[in-house]
Amino acid sequence: MVYKVSIVVPGSDHGGAILNLTEMPRVGDHLQVGEMEVEVIEIMDLMPPRGDFHFMHATCKQVEK
Amino acid sequence: MDTVQLLRGVEVFDGLSEAELKRVAGICREARYKKGEVVTTQGEVGDEMFIVREGMVEVTVGEAEGGAPRTEVNLGTGQVVGEMALVDRGPRSATVRCVTEAAVVNVIGREVFERLCQSDHHIGMLVYRNLAADLSFKLRHRHLARR
Repeated sequence: MVYKVSIVVPGSDHGGAILNLTEMPRVGDHLQVGEMEVEVIEIMDLMPPRGDFHFMHATCKQVEK
Repeated sequence: MDTVQLLRGVEVFDGLSEAELKRVAGICREARYKKGEVVTTQGEVGDEMFIVREGMVEVTVGEAEGGAPRTEVNLGTGQVVGEMALVDRGPRSATVRCVTEAAVVNVIGREVFERLCQSDHHIGMLVYRNLAADLSFKLRHRHLARR
């Protein structure tokens, strides 16, 4: 299964990202978006699944290092 | 990861059989970029679609109009970019740059792609349907990013 995820980081200049993940993202997960690490704070289905693909949207916050 | 394995994880090729994925893999070539290097430039004519194999690319708009570039989205492994040039034959709608230390992409040219779709309508139907769904996903992402 492939989880195609739209990632948005509100309040940042970052344009967000679209990533393919092999596991379903959950609230609290940390994701690497290029050189930025983000934490998932909200997750929802974006479109119904089709074939091997699930389509999700994750609202995230940047993880301060 | 071989190209068929990569394509299996790309939504645009969802539904294709193993044999069909091999045919698509046969028309791909590989290109490598270093951080900061440009893959496509907004406003230029383009006739290729790119599949991110490794690394990440950033999609920006605005530079072509003389303004500051605005990041629309970053695309990681398995995402396609430049597909609008295959669909509408218009100029590049955005500039795409490598934003990781390196990025590897698979490139598909319009001419060989159209030839493949014409020779195998099942591939053509699925890929064009999936391209529409991919553009829809990107549009939904853009709406959510601008809330």
